[in-house]
Amino acid sequence: MASINTTRIEAVKSFLSELKLHKTGLLGLGVLILYVFVAIFAPWISPVGPNETGLADSYAYPSWFSIFPGYENLPRNIILKLSYEDWHVLHQSNGLEYVEESDLSKINVKSGNVSTVKDLLLEYAFNYTFNPPKRFSGKIPFKVEINHALGSYVRIRCSIVTPKGRVYEVYDSLPIANNLTRLETPATYDARDISLKLKLGFSPHDYLGEKIFNLKGVYKLRLYISIFSVKGDGAVNVWLGVNEFRIYGMLYGILGTDNLGCDLFSNLIYGTRVSLMVGILASVISVSIGLVVGVISGYKGRIVDQILMFFTDTLLFTPILPLLIAISVFVGKNLYLEIALIALFSWMVFARNTRAYVMSIRDSMFVESARAIGAPDIYIIFRHILPQLTPIIYINLVMRVPGAILLEATLSFLNLGDPSVPSWGRMLYNARYAGAFFRFMWWWIIPPGLAITFLALAFVLLGNALDAILNPRLQVRR
Amino acid sequence: MSVGGGGLLKYMGKRAVDRIAVVLSSLTLQFLLLRVLPYYVLGIDPSFFFLNPNLTEAQRELIRKQFGLDESLASQFVKYVLSLFTGNMGFSFYTRRPVFSELMERLPNTVLLLGTATVLTIIIGLIVGIIAVSKRGTRFDASIIGSSIFVSAFPLFYVGLLLLLIFGFYLRWFPIAGTISRPPPRDPVIYVADLLRHMALPLITLLITGIGGFALFIRNLFLTQLGEDYVLTARAKGLNEREVMVRHVLRNVLAPVINILALEFPGIISGAVIVETVFSWYGVGRWLFQAATQFDYPVVQAVLFIQVALTVVSLYIADLIIALIDPRVRLR
Repeated sequence: MASINTTRIEAVKSFLSELKLHKTGLLGLGVLILYVFVAIFAPWISPVGPNETGLADSYAYPSWFSIFPGYENLPRNIILKLSYEDWHVLHQSNGLEYVEESDLSKINVKSGNVSTVKDLLLEYAFNYTFNPPKRFSGKIPFKVEINHALGSYVRIRCSIVTPKGRVYEVYDSLPIANNLTRLETPATYDARDISLKLKLGFSPHDYLGEKIFNLKGVYKLRLYISIFSVKGDGAVNVWLGVNEFRIYGMLYGILGTDNLGCDLFSNLIYGTRVSLMVGILASVISVSIGLVVGVISGYKGRIVDQILMFFTDTLLFTPILPLLIAISVFVGKNLYLEIALIALFSWMVFARNTRAYVMSIRDSMFVESARAIGAPDIYIIFRHILPQLTPIIYINLVMRVPGAILLEATLSFLNLGDPSVPSWGRMLYNARYAGAFFRFMWWWIIPPGLAITFLALAFVLLGNALDAILNPRLQVRR
Repeated sequence: MSVGGGGLLKYMGKRAVDRIAVVLSSLTLQFLLLRVLPYYVLGIDPSFFFLNPNLTEAQRELIRKQFGLDESLASQFVKYVLSLFTGNMGFSFYTRRPVFSELMERLPNTVLLLGTATVLTIIIGLIVGIIAVSKRGTRFDASIIGSSIFVSAFPLFYVGLLLLLIFGFYLRWFPIAGTISRPPPRDPVIYVADLLRHMALPLITLLITGIGGFALFIRNLFLTQLGEDYVLTARAKGLNEREVMVRHVLRNVLAPVINILALEFPGIISGAVIVETVFSWYGVGRWLFQAATQFDYPVVQAVLFIQVALTVVSLYIADLIIALIDPRVRLR
């Protein structure tokens, strides 16, 4: 065993030293290693997942656009998370208690002899220095507990005050007269909400962010809690969670965002995994099928050969891409099925080549003498024929990959890929049908295609180098 | 050149039987994959996708009967094969129009686009490949190899998208979609000009992705021949490089070239699917794609059949030409 291992190591060593002479092959190997690295470390290279939506505004520009004139004032992502100590108390009625209680702000009103309304007005001021954004939204987690008879209620309102002093009330809970917990599922408001636009006096087609944040200066976010408590025993308690307010930026990440606000860079990085997996798996499967068919057909000959080659020809004459499209539609969008389909329709040429090669080996003297001493077919195939085939197997394993990668990308571009898996083809499909072209978003359109091309190219260069090293017939030619 | 007529006829007759057998088996495969697999294995009823859910059961049965979906698989298959060969390809599930007449609307567009592209690819590829091989080892040859390999790694649809982005959206030189302006121009000269303007981008896409690989193929084909002994003999006789190429190498290279040309034809519809989808070209490829996504089997099967038939016929013609120019073939 040891000797076999050492000869293998020697073979690999001599192969690598030969590869060093092929600069393009080395380049292909380097690029391939880079892609594998990216695929493995995708979660570290891109901290956000590819399917996370609403990371910034839809169709955001890449953040490095801010160095160009005209883009430097595009809105950035602003995310405010306001807890007890962040709020500035503008007004607090007597008899209303406002304290911090384990991450929450607690507001307590004890009932007295008369029914009263008590208010708390909280304010947070922030400076807004960018161009008007399109969208903003907020979350108000709260919990209301009313510990006495009917009649008491709590009302929570949130408003935005512009530098000029105009007040826009963006959220109104309306009177809440019963116990209510909205800590896990907070109350929300969103600039895209048409009823909010109408309530504030704008047209449904306006961007609320552009209307409200149209000035640069100090904006104030106000939270107004009013509690009406009927006379008698008991108390009203209100807890406020971490209030969130965000302005969706038009500048985000390395490649901006798509129509759903997903990070395009993350999609690009994670797309490496699918392409590599599809390319390599499909290649391995198709080479295996081609090898089995080719060896059996070439070695057995006669009727077996004719049947197998008839089947091979049938597949060879059948239009692959249209048939793949038709099958992908009903087979469902499953990545592994897709790989299997790609492999099942791409082994024919290799089988035919293997068959021709096996036929020439079968007729050679050493096989005939092996047969003459009574060696079984299995022994001859594994001992004499397969070792001769190793170079073309290796070459084909590499050379089949680009075709599979391009086919997968094409199917994904036609929206026939697995929708849960980020892939470059699907990025381009989204770009085509979500309006990237009309917005001239070249940073969305160009990178995925180049990623496909360079990956395919890496395999082609590596394959050519392998071909030159392992295939002696070609060496003579050059 | 004396051609043994009997030998040729016998050879071509045997070839014809082989080819027809392959067409039939390919049709069987398509029928299995498109009709049997979804319905009997995966349990998807194709009629589910085009029948209005508000119809009563009796109405559905009637429609299914109209399309012949109520019959047994075997009789469906026989009818399907017969109908394809008689040219009556049935009715589209969706438009309820004869597949044949819809096909005839689109086929000219596809033939125009893909036919032009194929012919140009072959001519330019041949020229570039031959120039490259005659200047083998030079920088020109190396740059042809390099750019061919580089270009062949680009997905066809991506080349189309890039051209669309640059020339359609940024520069606005060419229209971004369609086959002809709406409404079509009345003046025939302007009509042709408008058609060519719409055709430019898809045509360039097909040429960019096609020429490189073909030129490389031609180059390598010539290169393998140049290593043969007869070339050495011809050179030793004192023939110059040009005469060696034209009188000796070209004749030996012709058979594989004709074969690969014949194989280019099936690429017409496969290539059309992508390029017509990207550029919204009103042709067979986009129609096939739409039909496939809508489970419109009569259309899918008709188009696939046309492609298989086209492949086989063109390969058969190639066989004939090769047998005529190379007598060795028929003696095998």
